[in-house]
Amino acid sequence: MLLADLQEDIGAAVVDSAIPGCASLLVGGDDPTRRFAIHSRHYAASLARSLVERFAATVWLAGSELVTHAAMEFVREHPPTRPCMAEYGEGFPAYLASCGGTRLPYLGQFATMDWHLGRMAIAVDTAPLQTLADGDPARLAGARLALQPGTEYVALDWSLDELITFYLSGQAPDRYVLRNETVWLELRGCRGELWLNRLTRGDYVFRQAVADGSTLGRAAQLAVGADDGFEPGRAMLAMLHAGLVTEVVQARGDES
Amino acid sequence: MATTRDWHDLTAERSGIGLRLPHLAEVVATRPPVGWFEIHPENFLANPHATELLLDLARDYPISIHTVGVSVGSAHGLDAAHLERFARLVERVNPFLVSGHLAWSTAHGQYLNDLLPLPYTDETLRLVADQLARVEDRLGRRYLLENPSTYVGFAHSTMTEVEFLNELVSRTGCRLLCDVSNVFVSGHNMGHDPYAYIDQLLSTAVGELHLGGFTPEEDEARPGETVLIDTHAERISDSVWPLYAHALRRLGDSPTLIEWDNDLPTLRQLVGEAARAEDVRSRAREVDRAAC
Repeated sequence: MLLADLQEDIGAAVVDSAIPGCASLLVGGDDPTRRFAIHSRHYAASLARSLVERFAATVWLAGSELVTHAAMEFVREHPPTRPCMAEYGEGFPAYLASCGGTRLPYLGQFATMDWHLGRMAIAVDTAPLQTLADGDPARLAGARLALQPGTEYVALDWSLDELITFYLSGQAPDRYVLRNETVWLELRGCRGELWLNRLTRGDYVFRQAVADGSTLGRAAQLAVGADDGFEPGRAMLAMLHAGLVTEVVQARGDES
Repeated sequence: MATTRDWHDLTAERSGIGLRLPHLAEVVATRPPVGWFEIHPENFLANPHATELLLDLARDYPISIHTVGVSVGSAHGLDAAHLERFARLVERVNPFLVSGHLAWSTAHGQYLNDLLPLPYTDETLRLVADQLARVEDRLGRRYLLENPSTYVGFAHSTMTEVEFLNELVSRTGCRLLCDVSNVFVSGHNMGHDPYAYIDQLLSTAVGELHLGGFTPEEDEARPGETVLIDTHAERISDSVWPLYAHALRRLGDSPTLIEWDNDLPTLRQLVGEAARAEDVRSRAREVDRAAC
């Protein structure tokens, strides 16, 4: 049996917790397939543990049993493709939502926030721009901006930012009624510190569009379309004052 | 090959410990009395904050980089993107040692998060030699290869593990990392003599030693017996220290690392394990001096 075929067979058996087709080639004890199962157990247990640790706030909210069960299933259906475990699990919130969706319809959005906050916490800020004065004002509408690495924008259908703040602060009230409301949220993080900022709809659309690579002109257009009261100049200044902008990455005079 | 800072005087005297993320902030703040730290690059590549702290530590301590994600035994090829990220971290940290495993962990774009066993055949030897050369070419420095802990082997292997490693050294001139605990674990599980394994290993090729804890479990493949699982979740077994002393005498006094990856103890406990390794090394040196 060629090594490539052997590894394909073994890899599939590890993920599926199955006996490999090449079982007759294995040696180790009286029943080597029992020994082989050590690898399958390690695969499932180590990855599930990694997800449970990665989604600690979600475990706090939904309980260990639900999250661990979903994690065990997830690792079988969605093996990692890269060896950095910090990058594994982006698809887990959606998977979790499908598992706990009936009982906790907000679980997917909460886990998405948990995922982003995990990434924000390990981000490192770079020196922010204080002004855009160095750029050509005539071409500002065509400029694209780079934002701090630890920045993410999420729209929520519940007041989940309050809920996750209880987890982060370790101070939860005895009773809390989750409100079904739209929340436009900016998540910021740097060197272990986290901030959750509620935004107006206009500011949210503007900042998210800028973060996604739109020109300032296009981002302002989208924001005005979403919020009649949106003021581009004020919004741009607020981003600069918040230390969000790190670089003017591109400027094209013909874009708006 | 790239030059590295001359940390050898320091590493000759002091043992190192595996630096895992939960201890990172405490290590940065307290600068504990250990000779050096080993890190897994996979914990740092996606973590800019941890990398920043690591680079700070690297100014004061020798760092060893030990990858669990470069799969030199994978018949489906190396993960070129991961090798590139790994190599860039190596360039930034400038470690005194770089190492990985004689194992495979990727197949068809899936990362299996385990160090899976290889059959010891000519085909495997050619593959590992070729991929090891590619890794060393990209890194521009030596990449020490570690012996695995084993639960199963392959009936079609044409050589033993130690014969395979020695042949690899003969063909490629590569350097080895001898994990003494893995030798013990594999010997117990597969029924070979760990002392004989150490005796057979090409001593001139060994550039580093590892010690890690293992966990005995009931062996479902041998009812009534135990199988040793390489968990790195316990203290070094009392059974392994004499084998370590034997390895020091037989293989030479190489930098030694205490590995503890799961159910992490306090940093103080970990430093205590490193101190115990230093005691064993001191006694081994005294025996050597007496023999002269």
